[in-house]
Amino acid sequence: MHIPDGFLSTPVWATLDAAAAPAVVYLTRRAQRSLEENKVPLLGVLGAFVFAAQMINFPVGPGTTGHLVGGALLAFTLGPAPASMVMVAILAVQALVFQDGGILALGANITNMAVMGVLAGYLPFHIWGATRWRGFSVFAGGALSVLVSACLALAELLISGVRMPGSVLSVSLALFTVSAILEGAITLAVLRALEKVQPKTIHYPRPGRSPVLAGVALTAVLLATVGVLFAASGPDGIEKVLNLHAGSLQVNLLRQASTGILGLAMIYGACLVIGRVASRRRSL
Amino acid sequence: MRHLALERWARGSSPLHHRDPRAKIVALLVFLIALATDSHGLPWFALGLVVLLVTALLWARIPVWGALARAGIVLPFSAVFAAVSWLAGDPARGAPLAMKSYLSALAVLVVTSTTPLPVLLRGLEAMGAPSFLLDVGQFLHRYFFVISEEAQRMNQAAVARGVSGRQWGFGGPVFRASAGALAVLFGRSYGRAGDIHRAMLARGFDGRFRPLRTLRFQRADLLFTAVASLAPIAMRLAVERALA
Repeated sequence: MHIPDGFLSTPVWATLDAAAAPAVVYLTRRAQRSLEENKVPLLGVLGAFVFAAQMINFPVGPGTTGHLVGGALLAFTLGPAPASMVMVAILAVQALVFQDGGILALGANITNMAVMGVLAGYLPFHIWGATRWRGFSVFAGGALSVLVSACLALAELLISGVRMPGSVLSVSLALFTVSAILEGAITLAVLRALEKVQPKTIHYPRPGRSPVLAGVALTAVLLATVGVLFAASGPDGIEKVLNLHAGSLQVNLLRQASTGILGLAMIYGACLVIGRVASRRRSL
Repeated sequence: MRHLALERWARGSSPLHHRDPRAKIVALLVFLIALATDSHGLPWFALGLVVLLVTALLWARIPVWGALARAGIVLPFSAVFAAVSWLAGDPARGAPLAMKSYLSALAVLVVTSTTPLPVLLRGLEAMGAPSFLLDVGQFLHRYFFVISEEAQRMNQAAVARGVSGRQWGFGGPVFRASAGALAVLFGRSYGRAGDIHRAMLARGFDGRFRPLRTLRFQRADLLFTAVASLAPIAMRLAVERALA
């Protein structure tokens, strides 16, 4: 899942680098704030643990072993922002020291695994972690963290023009699903063992999460990752409007950029309106 | 371990080792962008870049064959996608993917094998990367060796107790034992982090790492940045003009 340099097209790696940079700064500040005191050693040593944990094999089939990826487990023990930051550090060290993942593709790898993977993995635990569904939420978190990261990586490769026949795509998705189930099972087994060995290290969420919000959030995550693989290749509504009315925009790149900015502005406006309405209702 | 060679190379001494990390980072980024955005005449451009990188390796007194082999770590991934492109009826796409990924990995290797990681991270900090994140990265790299060896010992202990790959299955005794081993490793790592933190506080740690020497960007670094950044751009322009 570590994309090397040379695979992503320039618009894809440049956009994801531009998106990852402020996300990393935000997550770092958030991680610094959320820790009680300066816990640099804790984050660094647990990052090293995630690396080392890949050496402990889990027998899952005849002659086949799996290992922990660790993003969700880090989120359950450190909290989402510190876990994301530790994953960023892991990805940077992997790219620099082990040539595992590219430097220009670091933004893509950070977005897939450290930001989206960790946050999606934490989401079920955040919602159901304090209920009787905690076991399921741990399994779902582990599975989602891998599935989201893998589907995003695959989508970025497809958007970059790497051609894949339908059969290869189906096999890839099947393998991702198996890896996701495996990660969920390992995360659950390790967390249950950790509850017996060192229960204080687990970062349990507060009870009382809204089930509606949970449903919306999980659907959004699934749509944003798995859905993008099956998205139509034809122009969407905004692109159609621009194609009809943007005759003066001859430069293709400029048209694509304006389409993206218009889309983002519309989403931002919609979120702003919904947020204001929701906050007014709450204050009444 | 494979990465120990990189540590040894980075501790060497050569004009390239002595350059400021910021100069090398800027040159690396220019190199990677020039390579990533190229679409015409890639084989000739790639040949020029190989010559450039091998010259840098020789200048830095780094074993050329060892470095070329080490950068090949990306080739299995590239080979899979080359095969997928061939299956999709686009066989011409595989070779550029392999060339670009291999040369990018080799360029990163040239920089990391001539710059110790703490110095490289200090350079990134001077260029605006969050220092908290870089400190975590430095700790991670330092304790990776310690915790990896502990994980290997646990694996050996499991094998010595008779655990084998044949006893497989979700939720089986071996699966649960592996989960328990990982939980113990996590607990030990957590405990070790606390010990390290207390030891650091006892030695006056106030949240900031103090480097033994400060970075100084000299004229030679400026000259190096200019030459190393312009070389791939000039090569690319020359290839594009020759093919036009």
